[in-house]
Amino acid sequence: MENRLEVSHLSHAFIKANGEEIRIFQNLNFAVGAAEIVAIVGRSGAGKSTLFNLISGLLKPSAGKIALGAREDGSAGSIAYMLQKDLLLPWRTILENAVLGIELQRPVTTADRSRAKDMLARYGLESVANAYPHSLSGGMKQRVALTRTLLANPTVVLLDEPFSALDYETRLMLENDVISLTRSEGTSVILVTHDIDEAIAMSNRIVVLGGRPAKITREENIVLTVDGSSAERDAVTARGAPEFPQFHKTIWNALRASDVAHASA
Amino acid sequence: MKKSNGATLIVTTILIVLIILWQMAAQANLINGQLLGSPIGIFHSAVIGVTKGQLLYDTWVTLVETLLGLVVGSGLGIGLGLVLWFYPRTSDIVEQFSILLNSIPKIALGPLIIIWFGSGMISKIWLAGISTFAVAMISACAAAQEVDKDLLNLFKSFKAQRMMIFKKLILPATIPWIFSILRINIGFALIGAVVGEFIASENGLGHAVFVAGSLFDLNSVWLGVVILTLMAAILTWVVQLIEERIVSWKVSQ
Repeated sequence: MENRLEVSHLSHAFIKANGEEIRIFQNLNFAVGAAEIVAIVGRSGAGKSTLFNLISGLLKPSAGKIALGAREDGSAGSIAYMLQKDLLLPWRTILENAVLGIELQRPVTTADRSRAKDMLARYGLESVANAYPHSLSGGMKQRVALTRTLLANPTVVLLDEPFSALDYETRLMLENDVISLTRSEGTSVILVTHDIDEAIAMSNRIVVLGGRPAKITREENIVLTVDGSSAERDAVTARGAPEFPQFHKTIWNALRASDVAHASA
Repeated sequence: MKKSNGATLIVTTILIVLIILWQMAAQANLINGQLLGSPIGIFHSAVIGVTKGQLLYDTWVTLVETLLGLVVGSGLGIGLGLVLWFYPRTSDIVEQFSILLNSIPKIALGPLIIIWFGSGMISKIWLAGISTFAVAMISACAAAQEVDKDLLNLFKSFKAQRMMIFKKLILPATIPWIFSILRINIGFALIGAVVGEFIASENGLGHAVFVAGSLFDLNSVWLGVVILTLMAAILTWVVQLIEERIVSWKVSQ
């Protein structure tokens, strides 16, 4: 398979304690290609986080398949994720936190450590490599979490509202970090968010979830013209693209339509 | 610690003032020195106890009983509580048992334990240990289960083995809890050891207090109480020092 991740005919349901079945998803189909950012948006309660847990393998789906594509060299792909909470371990230094993903697999080598230091330096964190998380700001902690996610060398990165607790400026910077990462490393990203602006600014494609059980109500390819020419977008220029308001309207209407349909059902 | 310096000064001053008032009242015969003792009388008892009696040895005996009971009882309890993290189903059953065990007034087991293990130090170590075991196990088990589920999921997403999760997450995350269990258990261990000495023994501060009490030597009773209090305070302080060393990431916050 060419894609990094393929979700096919995915359905999922919870069985409540009284035996009642709560259906969450019905027949979801979508794919994520290499170096692509796919945003999944839906109103709260649409099961975005459940989808996230299904894709990351923390939950087993009731039906359907989630297939992970191989790397270019044929070895198995892998998924790493990042949440709104930074989940740094307070008893570990920044560097030790960054290499956690490696350490849980195999002994950490000097090469791993210098790679981690390089990556921390890229995010302006070299001076705090030996500090403990409590001395860092929220934005810095999220960058450490991003570093930890990336050092595990994933082919697909899952982001569950990773920046929603940050101030606007820090948020734009981190959005840029993720966008540039897909370009430099070819990593694929699935972004789960309720923020339409963020979804349009960052992603190549938006998948809208709606209804109950949730279905894909719309899939929209996001192509933005930035700075008039072929210049590549970043978190700021994307928001200034002429197509931005139209996409915003389209996605907003798609979300609202599924709400209305749900309310009248 | 820095913040509490002012409070420590105030507490010390109040204590000194109270002791002086106590002594003055006893000398002026405002209170019955025979029935209440007096600070100078306590001091006399201490001097006599150290020079002619076996006060130092008694202190040593009680200290050893308390420490061994604390370390063995809490150690086993904490160890078992943490290991139960691997077996969530078993842990439910064991937890029920330990709640039952914990509701036994441990002191009431004193006569049994003394019959089984004799009137020497071993029976007091048992009593001190039993007094701390169940609390330690229940708390350690709860602490291990209360580790953030998102952190657990993060470790699972990195495909960590259960042993790795235990070593790198559960253990470090529960260390602050383990120290607070130890601090609480100092008091329980001390009660276990002293009550054991009350029941049957030839040595120890509990024994000394008991004998002094039956001889109406109230100054010596007070002396025992003061030494026991100091012992608990010093042990708490030592545990705190060790904690500050190990949990330095937390202290520096």
